[in-house]
Amino acid sequence: MTRMVPLARRNLFQERRRAVLAVAGVAVALLLVLVLQGIFAGAMRQVTAYIRHSPADLVVSQRGVRTMHMSASALSPDTVARARAVPGVAWAAGIDFTTVVVGSASGRQLSYVIGYDPTDRRGGPRRLSRGRAPGRGEAVLDEIAAKQLHVGLGGRVQALGAAFTVSGLFRGGTSIVNTTTFVTADDFARLRGPAVSYVLVGARAGTKPDELARTLAATLPATTVQSRAEFARQEARIVSDMSADIMRIMAAIGFAIALAVVGLTLFTVTLAKLREYGVLKALGARPRRLAAVVAGQAVWSVALSLVVAVALALLVGAVVGRLTPTVQLVVEPADVLRVGLGGLVVGALGAILPLRRVLRVDPASAFRRPS
Amino acid sequence: MSAPAVRVRGLSRTFGEGDVAVRAVREVDLDIAAGEVVLVMGPSGSGKTTLLLMLGALLRPSAGSIEVNGIGLARAPERRLPDLRAHHFGFIFQDSNLLSALNAIENIELACNLVGVGGSRAEERARALLERFGLGHRLHFRPDQLSGGEKQRVAIARAMANDPPVILADEPTANLDSSIGRDVARLLRRLATDDGRSVVIVSHDARLKEVADRVLWLEDGAFMELSQMATDPVCAMAVEAADAPHFFAEGETWWFCSASCRDEFAADPGHFLRLMRRSGGDGRGTAHSA
Repeated sequence: MTRMVPLARRNLFQERRRAVLAVAGVAVALLLVLVLQGIFAGAMRQVTAYIRHSPADLVVSQRGVRTMHMSASALSPDTVARARAVPGVAWAAGIDFTTVVVGSASGRQLSYVIGYDPTDRRGGPRRLSRGRAPGRGEAVLDEIAAKQLHVGLGGRVQALGAAFTVSGLFRGGTSIVNTTTFVTADDFARLRGPAVSYVLVGARAGTKPDELARTLAATLPATTVQSRAEFARQEARIVSDMSADIMRIMAAIGFAIALAVVGLTLFTVTLAKLREYGVLKALGARPRRLAAVVAGQAVWSVALSLVVAVALALLVGAVVGRLTPTVQLVVEPADVLRVGLGGLVVGALGAILPLRRVLRVDPASAFRRPS
Repeated sequence: MSAPAVRVRGLSRTFGEGDVAVRAVREVDLDIAAGEVVLVMGPSGSGKTTLLLMLGALLRPSAGSIEVNGIGLARAPERRLPDLRAHHFGFIFQDSNLLSALNAIENIELACNLVGVGGSRAEERARALLERFGLGHRLHFRPDQLSGGEKQRVAIARAMANDPPVILADEPTANLDSSIGRDVARLLRRLATDDGRSVVIVSHDARLKEVADRVLWLEDGAFMELSQMATDPVCAMAVEAADAPHFFAEGETWWFCSASCRDEFAADPGHFLRLMRRSGGDGRGTAHSA
């Protein structure tokens, strides 16, 4: 492609202060959207952390129950044994699950409480950062929750109507919404009754998980069998559905601010250059060439703003993560792409008015004396 | 005789209708030869700029025809006009009208871009033009870093970017001091003499008569008087034949800027005529009809 004089870029950056202010304005607006999406993506990651890091290929739950968040599942205690007997199942581990408040002398935390078999460990925390797996009357807490409750190893917390001694700590179990606490399945059963909430199932090597899911569903009546990925998707979806409206509103506000800044910038730059557009027309510029100049200015504004916004979002994420460990800000490439495309739409909208002005400029105006 | 580069017949332009109609240009006929410099003068509001705009395909005439190298402009479809302007005309404006965000070489490259020439070809062309006009050391200077004369020279170079057969200049010396204005006038003369372009200058500046082959006086939208221009064989200054001192020698009438030039010539006409012929005299030594 033949290199042309980059008039759009030159026009936009001729007055550097104005260009910097414009880029900063749009960047802040896009940053608002990115940060919101980042916090949302971080929350999704946190909420689905347990299931995403589980070694299970499949998750069995009560029929119609597809998530842990905002759900309660109750399966017959023999479901674990029956699942193990299904051909193609390598292992099956039952977990008990409920959402309660875990408290200490210093505070309270909303928490998933998961009862699991510490000898099996498949239903437990992925890795302990300190201490050991829980025994009778013991619990494993997330590090952040333990810090907020001001308890350490050997400390005491209240959960399920009983007192537990903290035997171990792990990472990655606390979200903006709640935390996760592990106790033994025996303690859970003692305090809440002998039920199983979910059964985690591992497929034998060579067994296709989706085929195994169908076999399990046929063998275990009144259950729903999902792959781990599907379960995580459902979990994310319930959180997403809960916050979708507010996300949309905030994103719309962010894009509206960006639109105002881009539109105003392009309009100002264009108005200041109307005579020069007239000169260009007189010299023989076609309308599409002029449109390309205005559009180029919009693309440059949005592209630079997006780069600045992403850099700032990463910085904000690092700062927020340090100051507020329960809030995780994740800048996903897909979100950057979405915001970028949104920004381009905003840029295109912002360019409409200036473009109309430019296309209406009379080339003869190049011959009029400047007032 | 070869066909004129620009041929205008019955050109008129009326603004408004009915009682408020203003006839800015009235049935103008004009032929401009390749290599000829035509200066259009006249009072403000006489229709000079309107005529220039129509010649440059920037304004549709109400009636009449304009042909440039045989191509009719007056009725060309609107979508073709940008291309016609880019290929056939070089425009020079009063205030140079360079694009302020671009440096000198980019201003010219941009004009090349308009006819699809870009990259190194455009750059080489722009560089060559700027060097030709003595601005090789100002390639990367923006307009606000150039003097008035330099800006106008860049504007002339831009007008040449696409090698157009016709140059249209609107008050090209208006904001320049006398010596720089004279430089610019000489440059315009060179575009005609060296490159064979037709140059139409609209101006109030009488200094431009020096470089014009013809001076046309436009008043109330019509040419009122055609002056014959001649070159003084002694000092090479352009003079209006009708008013100037003259002398008859070797079967022709010679015109002078002053009586002293005439007397110097009269003392030894052969000497001056030999000098003229040696320097490639183009016949402008004698007055000729417009």
